[in-house]
Amino acid sequence: MKFCVCIKQVPDVTAPIQIRDGALQMDAGRVVLNAYDASAVEAALVLTEAHGGEVEVVLIGPEKATETIRKALAMGAHRATHLVVDEGAALDSHAVSELLARHFEGADCDVILTGKQAQDTDAGLAGAMLAERLGRPYATNAVGLGLDGEAVVVTRQGDTGQETIALPTPCLVTCSNDMNDPRIPNLRGVMQAKKKPLDARPVAEAPAPRVQTLGYEPLPSREPGVRLDGEPAEQAADLVRRLADASVL
Amino acid sequence: MPKILSYAAVQNGQPTRASLEGLSRARELAQARGAGLAAVVLAPDAEAHAEVFGRYGAQTVYAVSDPVFKTHLNTPVLEALEAVIGRAEPEVVVFPSTEGVKDVLGALAVRTGGTVLPDVSEVEVRGDGAVEGLRPVMASKFLARVRAEGAPVLVSVRAGSYEATEAPTEATVEPVPFSFDQGSLRQTLREVATSAAGAVDLSDARVVVAAGRGVKDEAGKQLVEELAEVLGAAIGASRAVVESGMFPATAQIGQTGKVVSPDLYVGVGLSGAIQHVAGMVNSRVIVAINNNPDAPIFDVATYGIVGDLYQVLPPLIAALKEQNVAV
Ligand SMILES: Cc1cc2nc3c(=O)[nH]c(=O)nc-3n(C[C@H](O)[C@H](O)[C@H](O)COP(=O)(O)OP(=O)(O)OC[C@H]3O[C@@H](n4cnc5c(N)ncnc54)[C@H](O)[C@@H]3O)c2cc1C
Ligand SMILES: Nc1ncnc2c1ncn2[C@@H]1O[C@H](COP(=O)(O)O)[C@@H](O)[C@H]1O
Repeated sequence: MKFCVCIKQVPDVTAPIQIRDGALQMDAGRVVLNAYDASAVEAALVLTEAHGGEVEVVLIGPEKATETIRKALAMGAHRATHLVVDEGAALDSHAVSELLARHFEGADCDVILTGKQAQDTDAGLAGAMLAERLGRPYATNAVGLGLDGEAVVVTRQGDTGQETIALPTPCLVTCSNDMNDPRIPNLRGVMQAKKKPLDARPVAEAPAPRVQTLGYEPLPSREPGVRLDGEPAEQAADLVRRLADASVL
Repeated sequence: MPKILSYAAVQNGQPTRASLEGLSRARELAQARGAGLAAVVLAPDAEAHAEVFGRYGAQTVYAVSDPVFKTHLNTPVLEALEAVIGRAEPEVVVFPSTEGVKDVLGALAVRTGGTVLPDVSEVEVRGDGAVEGLRPVMASKFLARVRAEGAPVLVSVRAGSYEATEAPTEATVEPVPFSFDQGSLRQTLREVATSAAGAVDLSDARVVVAAGRGVKDEAGKQLVEELAEVLGAAIGASRAVVESGMFPATAQIGQTGKVVSPDLYVGVGLSGAIQHVAGMVNSRVIVAINNNPDAPIFDVATYGIVGDLYQVLPPLIAALKEQNVAV
């Protein structure tokens, strides 16, 4: 089976970030492979190792996002497509899914995997948008992925429990990071990645985003908290009194 | 008359709290815009819920009844919502931001030619019909002010962002004919596993007790369960104890898990990683119990107790029991 995994390079949210004039300021060098996409790559690798097949990764991003593609190749993906856009191109899930749909139209790919959301924007839309554009059945928020004959079997995390859904191929699945622990590339993987096929194609015309980001704001700040001192029994009594006063009991 | 449509999710025969919050906000938006307010409900017995939505101000209730809605599957939900949106022609559709909704929003936008603003904590409709919202980004470190144009704008609202408030109206029920062709369904639901703790949606709970890696064993888990019981709380968890298998994935709170905003959140033995805080920082009162005074959870806590949870919880449970007897 052929798996195609859509991967995004995202800013490292644990790096220091400030707001200046409504814009986010951060070290442009602190970027990572979206954690949810890393889980999607891992799932594709596990399944192709067990059942045969190939894993291709597809990334839309500026030139410098090549390092993130190399990371996925170093994990074990076999080949990559890089749809190159200008640095700072404003792409929302709508535009991303349109570009990906153009790429996948007519492409031979049994299972498309995406992350359930991009870790920086938490939009969580591009996967289902892409599936709909391609007319593929899909499942989102997968915490488990397997093959059963020709069927792709997805366990998805729902609101009050888990649903197990069988999909025929071609299909699309969006992956949670609760699915697995992505492997860390070893030195051999890193060396091999340099020789793997990477097809970089400039995007001539990126679709306009439907959602504009007007600016960024800090979160409303919370009242400073209170530490409750004393022995556990005193702390307990103090807390219960305060919770009763705050009418939350 | 332009119309605002509000999607209501039904669980255990009741509309969820987040749905009623969304409907209440949709009513305010409709009033400000001089627009009509409609609700849509998909359920095996959708008509039966119409009265509740009338109580929250819906003038029209689009009721799509089919046994297929007993469990969640995206294809029938998409088909039904596409049909209702086609009929109601709303400018804006307000959704509660649940997993069921996240499963269909992107595809629904493509089908209806609309635009999505997902997971907002605030939403306004501007004079020109554009929708503006605030949404947490960067693991909820910041808010992004976003603007969407292109009707219908599909907006999903985070649980706890608005109050659910009644404003009774006589609702007209419009049953929407829906025949679902099982044969065309290119997906098969094989199994639904409802986690024991998960029958009540955590996002709907008024009180939440959340456990983290500091809860090391059965004895610790039992303390957490006892605390939840005396507080009448739903049990949540950090990713660490979901990964270890001690708590079900349905209980996970945070960026990967659920967003909760209860009146009272008690975090027990969890550090307060940004990805966890992303899911609980809007709780009204936050209590943190952790033996490390430098744990980041204390930065957002209203009341912090530095101590060993195994020492702190027994007297706390006892004191709460006493308090329960006293009131
Ligand atoms: C993309 C992404 C998404 C994520 N999504 C989520 C999410 O949705 N939810 C989530 O929770 N995490 C999420 N995480 C993981 C997150 O980064 C943390 O790893 C996780 O929250 C840690 O869980 P914890 O606080 O239980 O464990 P730890 O960080 O190990 O903290 C355990 C705490 O318990 C305290 N402790 C230990 N023993 C005791 C004791 N006896 N008494 C009192 N205190 C004690 C320690 O001082 C420590 O602070 C995500 C990570 C990524 C990368
Ligand atoms: N620039 C991109 N290149 C490739 N895939 C992407 C890109 N942006 C988003 N995706 C995929 O779509 C998923 C959901 O993204 P989003 O809708 O932005 O939350 C991500 O987890 C990726 O799998």
